[in-house]
Amino acid sequence: MNAADEVAGAIARGLPEHTAPMGEAEFERLYSATAGPILGYLTAVSGRRDVAEDLLQEAYCRFLAQGPARSGLEAEAARRYLFRIASNLLRDRWRMGDGQPFTEPAESGVAANYDTTLEVQAMLQHLNPKERTLLWLAYVEGMDHAEIAAATGLGRLSVRTLLFRARGRARRLLEGELR
Amino acid sequence: MTGIDDRLRQGLRGYAAALAATQTAPPSSLVWLRAERRRRRAAVERAERPLRVMQAVGLLSGIAATGWLLVTSGLDRASLGTPMLALAIAAPILAAGGCWAMVAASRGAARS
Repeated sequence: MNAADEVAGAIARGLPEHTAPMGEAEFERLYSATAGPILGYLTAVSGRRDVAEDLLQEAYCRFLAQGPARSGLEAEAARRYLFRIASNLLRDRWRMGDGQPFTEPAESGVAANYDTTLEVQAMLQHLNPKERTLLWLAYVEGMDHAEIAAATGLGRLSVRTLLFRARGRARRLLEGELR
Repeated sequence: MTGIDDRLRQGLRGYAAALAATQTAPPSSLVWLRAERRRRRAAVERAERPLRVMQAVGLLSGIAATGWLLVTSGLDRASLGTPMLALAIAAPILAAGGCWAMVAASRGAARS
C-alpha cells in the first residue's frame, strides 16, 4: 500500500458510514461548490472541453455510486475524493492512448492578461499530462505534496521529484523556449 | 525559485479563471439523473444474478436428467415412454424460459 492509498483509506475511514446516502439537495450543494474547479482541472490536463465535461459527469456518477456519497460528508473530504476519481479517469484515458491536447483553448476576451494566458496555454501544451496534473494541483488548487499524492495515486516522494522537474520544464518553457 | 513560482501561480490561476469564465459545468440534475439511472441498472443486474444462475442450473440439470433417462432405459425409446421423454425435454426448456421471462420483465421494469 503506497502513501496515496493510505490517505485514500484514511478519507474512506473518516466517512460517516451509518448515515443515509446523499440526497439530491445535498448533492446539488456539493456539485455547485466543486464542479467548477474539477472541470477546470480536467480541461487543463486533458486539453479538451468535450472530454472534460464527459469525465466530469463520470467522476460524479462514480462518486455517487461508491460508498462515500453519504449525508454529512465533509466538503473537503468530498473534494479530495473527487479529485482522486478525476485523476484516475484521466489516467485511464491516457492508457487507452487517447490524448490529443488543447483543441479548445481559453477564449481571449475574458482573460485578465491575454498574453500570459496564451503563454501558459502554450506551456501546458508542451508539458506531458503528468506534469500538467502536478502543476495544476500544486499551483491552482494549492495542494501540498501529500494531497497531490492522494489525488494522483503517486508516492509522496515521487510527487516531490516530479513536481520539481515539472516546475523546471515550465520555467524553461516560459523563459525562453516558447519565445 | 520564488519568482518563477509566483509567475507560474499567477499564470496558471489566470488561465484557470479564463477557463472558468468560458466554460460552465452541466447542471447537477443531469448528473444526478445519470447516476440514478446507473444505480438502478446496477440494482437490476444484481437482482438478475440468481435468476441467471438458476437458468443455467435448470438447463444443466434438465440435460443431465434426459441423459440419465436415456442411459437407464438402455436407449430403448419404447421402454422409456413418450410422456417421460417429453417431460425430460420440456423441463429444462421451461426452466430456462421461465428465468429468461423474469429477466426480461425486470429489465422492462427498470427501463420504464
